[in-house]
Amino acid sequence: MEEKKFYLTKEGLERIKKEYQDLKNLKFSKTKGGVPKLWESEDLNPEYLSFQEDLSFLEARLAELENIVKNAELIKSPPKEKQNIINLGATVLVEVDGQNDEFTIVGTLEANPALGKISNESPVGRLLLDHRVGDEVTVSSPIQTIYKIKKIRYRIS
Amino acid sequence: MENLLNFFIETGKLKSKKRKGWIFRGVREPETIASHTFRMAIMSWLLSRRRGLNINKILKMSLTHDLCEVYAGDTTPYDKILPKDKKHWKKIFDKWPRLSKKEKEKIFLGKYKKENEALNKLTLKLPSVLKKEIRNLWADYEKGLTKEGRFVRQIDRVENLLQALEYWDAKKQFAIEPWWIQIEELVDNPILLEFIKALEKKFHRK
Repeated sequence: MEEKKFYLTKEGLERIKKEYQDLKNLKFSKTKGGVPKLWESEDLNPEYLSFQEDLSFLEARLAELENIVKNAELIKSPPKEKQNIINLGATVLVEVDGQNDEFTIVGTLEANPALGKISNESPVGRLLLDHRVGDEVTVSSPIQTIYKIKKIRYRIS
Repeated sequence: MENLLNFFIETGKLKSKKRKGWIFRGVREPETIASHTFRMAIMSWLLSRRRGLNINKILKMSLTHDLCEVYAGDTTPYDKILPKDKKHWKKIFDKWPRLSKKEKEKIFLGKYKKENEALNKLTLKLPSVLKKEIRNLWADYEKGLTKEGRFVRQIDRVENLLQALEYWDAKKQFAIEPWWIQIEELVDNPILLEFIKALEKKFHRK
């Protein structure tokens, strides 16, 4: 499994930890009843198969969550003197092609552009990092788009 | 068996449902929802090979991600902002729609609710294991809960970009900029970023 850092907000990390605990409880309750014995029948038991598939899904997800928690790095508000610079966790008001838009820069696990959350590993997210109000950032592949940075704020709990 | 048969008949309707975004832009004989799903599933399979992802789950997720559209219909990012007078549509489609965070949340939640209800209706009479699996796969895709969910959500947009480039390349009848802007804000998977470079080379540097 890849050993990369996962940048998460406090809420995001709490959600991951809760899911991990819930799934661990589910696995315990599933296995407590005992796995049906396949060798009792020559035929493949569809119930056994679905149970097995479910359990392997469950285990894969548990391993993924465990890896995330192990490699999680909490997104924190920067000190006041650095809050004029875009970093993870910043909510940025930009002007693009004459229209205003607002993004929060988050790690890949919490990114959802439909909700205004942009990944720090996306081309736009990467380019915005380390810039300040008044800067213009140009995304140029293959269409040139200019993002004018109008406001930066941090609302991390 | 009867319930499965009815489910197949209903999902078969996606073979003839044309995608709304192309109709809006006047593309003649555009692709259907099922044809988008077909290429997306192939792309998901072949592009996920190097990433340590669960291909079984990715394929099932790709195949089921738009099933809700049997009853919910497909949506576009422009649905809420299109004026009645079609004369103004072209100008609107030239730009990627920019909305406030509140508006984005409202649209996302409204779409989620509508599609969730449609999927529940479609899968109602399926065996409970299948019903549960299809609903879980869809929720994972919509919310990007797992790495597979996030990957398939990005593949969905990349397939859409490829289709847009093919139509655009043939007739240049609409602006291609909004697709690129959406992609640059959404995609962060390294393999897909590499694939996007290949798209750029093929369609823009001739």
